[in-house]
Amino acid sequence: MFWLSVFNTLLYTGVASVFKFAIGLYLALLLNQHMPFKAIIRALVLIPFIVPTVLSAIAFWWIFDSQFSIVSWSLRKLGLIATNIDFLGDTWNARWSVIFANIWRGVPFVAITLLAGLQTVPSSLYEAATIDGATPWQMFRYVTYPLLTPIIAVVMTFSVLFTFTDFQLIWVLTRGGPANATHLMATLGYQRAIGGGYLGEGSAIATAMIPFLLAAILISWFGLQRRKWQHGESND
Amino acid sequence: MTDVLASKVASPKAVLAGVTADHTEGMSYLQTLPRRLVTLYLPLSLILFVLLFPFYWMAVTTFKPNEELYSYQDHNPLWIASPTLDNVRKLLFDTPYPGWLLRTMTIAAAATFLSLFASVLAAYAIERLRFRGARAVGLAIFLAYLVPPSILFIPLATMVFSLGLFDSMWALILTYPTFLIPFCTWLLMGYFRSIPYELEECARIDGASRLQILVKIILPLAVPGLISAGIFAFTLSWNEFIYALAFISSSENKTVPVGVLTELVQGDVYNWGALMAGALFGSLPVAILYSFFVDYYVASMTGAIKE
Repeated sequence: MFWLSVFNTLLYTGVASVFKFAIGLYLALLLNQHMPFKAIIRALVLIPFIVPTVLSAIAFWWIFDSQFSIVSWSLRKLGLIATNIDFLGDTWNARWSVIFANIWRGVPFVAITLLAGLQTVPSSLYEAATIDGATPWQMFRYVTYPLLTPIIAVVMTFSVLFTFTDFQLIWVLTRGGPANATHLMATLGYQRAIGGGYLGEGSAIATAMIPFLLAAILISWFGLQRRKWQHGESND
Repeated sequence: MTDVLASKVASPKAVLAGVTADHTEGMSYLQTLPRRLVTLYLPLSLILFVLLFPFYWMAVTTFKPNEELYSYQDHNPLWIASPTLDNVRKLLFDTPYPGWLLRTMTIAAAATFLSLFASVLAAYAIERLRFRGARAVGLAIFLAYLVPPSILFIPLATMVFSLGLFDSMWALILTYPTFLIPFCTWLLMGYFRSIPYELEECARIDGASRLQILVKIILPLAVPGLISAGIFAFTLSWNEFIYALAFISSSENKTVPVGVLTELVQGDVYNWGALMAGALFGSLPVAILYSFFVDYYVASMTGAIKE
């Protein structure tokens, strides 16, 4: 039971973080371009992050409903599936559903923070790269990415930490079910401590999260310092 | 490390409303319109659609009558044939929802005020008093922010019980600062750092005490920082869930997120209309606050702090 929750947590954090990073970076690059209604679009992007997670999770609960899911309805209308998808009742479906909801909530934070980093990259660098005949991919790989690395490290640390210790989404959507398939360490700890009344057991599960968190912090810390050194700045 | 973090992560709100560093138009004029359609507008609208659809769905469900809600054969679920306020009326008059709203607002405001007060003092001391170990304290406060509520709720629960605060507003007002103060302090430290020392030196020469400097020089200059820290803190405490779930038991004492989840779901019958109405009206206050303050925050940040 405990090891199952560790596995779930690692899967949840790993998959969600990779997607959050990829989609978030892509969205940030898109938002960094010049377009009409830029300010409004950027403000809209952040809305999923601003509203209470529990309340948007309730909306997802309804979207993932087994009978009246709008997703199932749309896919059926399009002729892609024959019967409704049981989003939260099936082991792996439930896992992917909660991961999707987590990505949905996390992408705005990653995107907007990376956008803040992107805007500190002077456009003269891109102009120079264009004159040197760089392709868009080369521009991203050799101009944008190196300058963005410190911010990426910080953002992803935050993202990993808060995904790893996530509680709200799971508690609303599945409460750890079906058959404990989506129990994270945080939800299991809560269930044992407050639900079951075993405070000690709950604390043990919660404390077991700390080594993972420390590892995440240390990895990004040393990653960050290495970068600083490479850029020829003094360590502090 | 804290320097890097404070300078890089505290700024997204400003960026959001379109404060660009040196980005003028860039080189996007070199691209043709059809190309931009495929590489920019199409993926962007797709992502925006996914990001905003749950809110649309929330709103649609709120104003739908029940017979439309549960018959996808006769009605197109994406639209409302005959909008109704039944769900809203039910929510406002048949449930303790208005009480939860008021309560959440009180708790969030009190916790925010308390945290801001403590954070101003802490951030000023760490940045400007230059005592031994100030940097270590700053780092420790930052690390405290990284310890998530899902670990802290058990020790806090035993404290709340032994102090006899269980099931009262004070349980939440006093526990929310455990994550608000580190966050606000860390944000404010960045702001205080950007205020020039010279101003304080002048004030010292004119005979101002430390407290006078803080109140009359630093705080007026840090208003944008205070506002952004305040909004963040308010939003965080509005959204908080695990403490409110663990420390409050009676129905009328609950906060909005907990109340909607635990009280509006009765048995196996989910009243989706009322649930969605609860979610919608619980989200609106923070959304309005956010949209209202984004401009103010950016305008004052670019104006007041930059010398």
